[in-house]
Amino acid sequence: MTALVAIPNGVWLREAVAELKRTSRLPQFLVPTVVTPAAFYGLFTLAVAKSPSPEYALATLAGYGVFAATGPALFGFGAGVAMEREQGLIELKRVSPMPAGAYVTAKLVAAVATTALALVLIDALAIVAGVRLSAASWAALTVLHLGSAIPFALIGFGMGMRMSGKGAVAVANAVFLGGSVLGGLWIPTVMLPGWMRTLGQMTPSYHLGQLARGIVGVDMLGSSFGHATAVAAMTAGGIIWAWSGWRRSPA
Amino acid sequence: MSGDLSDVARLARVSKRLGGRSVLAELNLGIRAGEVTALLGPNGAGKTTSVSLLTGRIAPDAGTAEIFGLDPRRPAARRRLGVMLQSAGLPDVLTIGELLTLQSGYYIDPRPLDETLALAGLDDLADRRCSALSGGQARRVHYALAICGRPDLLVLDEPTAAMDRASARMLWGTVRTLADDGTAVLLTSHDLAEADALADRIVVMDAGRIAADDTPAALRARAGGSVIRCRSRLTPDRAATAPAVRDAGMDGADLRIVTADAAATVRALLDADTTLMDLRVADATLEDAIAALLVAQPERIAA
Repeated sequence: MTALVAIPNGVWLREAVAELKRTSRLPQFLVPTVVTPAAFYGLFTLAVAKSPSPEYALATLAGYGVFAATGPALFGFGAGVAMEREQGLIELKRVSPMPAGAYVTAKLVAAVATTALALVLIDALAIVAGVRLSAASWAALTVLHLGSAIPFALIGFGMGMRMSGKGAVAVANAVFLGGSVLGGLWIPTVMLPGWMRTLGQMTPSYHLGQLARGIVGVDMLGSSFGHATAVAAMTAGGIIWAWSGWRRSPA
Repeated sequence: MSGDLSDVARLARVSKRLGGRSVLAELNLGIRAGEVTALLGPNGAGKTTSVSLLTGRIAPDAGTAEIFGLDPRRPAARRRLGVMLQSAGLPDVLTIGELLTLQSGYYIDPRPLDETLALAGLDDLADRRCSALSGGQARRVHYALAICGRPDLLVLDEPTAAMDRASARMLWGTVRTLADDGTAVLLTSHDLAEADALADRIVVMDAGRIAADDTPAALRARAGGSVIRCRSRLTPDRAATAPAVRDAGMDGADLRIVTADAAATVRALLDADTTLMDLRVADATLEDAIAALLVAQPERIAA
């Protein structure tokens, strides 16, 4: 009965490819998700400040890259999964022999790919604004920005398995905007009132944003190790939240 | 019979409560290879819960649910299972071909795509997006998803609800072929004609228990041989004294009599009422049989 134990080759890959196809055929999701972070970065950082210094453009780039990752993760996963559940698509997967991990991974790949497109736009704007980094720093920053999708994707997935489509959209918006403001992704944390800073420290946005600032060498609050530990702990919590959501009885 | 080692799937002493209500109480049910088993019963009888347990969507509160000796909630157990759900959607932006290729990839030895499409009557629709399907076509895609992996256990939940008659007949034909090739088929249905045409075995559920478990022919025989209808001055009580009558009652203006020997009963009726008109005799249907099983609540079967 070894055939029962073996997983057919390429299941995870095919699931991811199918999810990328689906995402690419949903321009109404893809375009706003990719364009909005770059538009915000261009508007609030570059246009409002008028000829901003490269240092300022760099400091804000760190935060906006994390912001770019939260959108696809929260909306693709949170709202997307909730809607798929309402349409009975999750049921279809649950009774199939597909390993649950393949579904989650495919969604994650799609979220990271969407984030990558958004980052291309933001990074291009940063370069136009005079940001210059070493290849190693660009690489590290990009990995961090792409990886930022993971904790948010897990949070979103757990939401999607528990909430209605409409509810998930509302909560995703709250987490998306709240996390970005409180976490200092739009306005640097040092400029926020004390209570917002305190709340912000409970968001992955804050710790990811600070890690990004550390990578590009602008003043970071706290230590990289502390932020990395916080992100790891929140990601672990996200895994439990997502997994328990998947295991819940279908509503 | 239940709990037999040759069973492909089984529920053993399974109890399940949902929403504070006992849905199944110590239920035993075994599904055998090469056989089409139809699960019938009124809404709330526990059919859907039984199917959910065997497809790994929920776990029993007590007892065991197994397919191929494994917990159905394990993906490995479901690699020999194909399921056609009653109310599942389809991913709008994928084509039928893409969707079936993806689903086939979950199985060890899937059918070639063309064969799956042909079996489900979707030959020309491989490139069609799932958002552009009629209701009947969508049901056929769900059927294709269930059979694409060459499953040893095929679970069909109300397969022909929302299907046109031609699609339903096509589905019955292929299901019969699959069962004859050794596939175990578990079917739930509200369509008694479907169950009668397709099933080797009918399990009637009522209030979380099994009310009957037999072949369609044996169930029909249990209801008595024939149903006589006529217009007559005789009261049901008087008609019940005729030979071989099992049950007599009024059905609208008709006198309706269930009998084991139609000829003997009709002769006596005609002797007793020379004005008797509109005489019709029919075989007792499966519906008559099941209505008799679900005592005093025959209307529930049609719900």
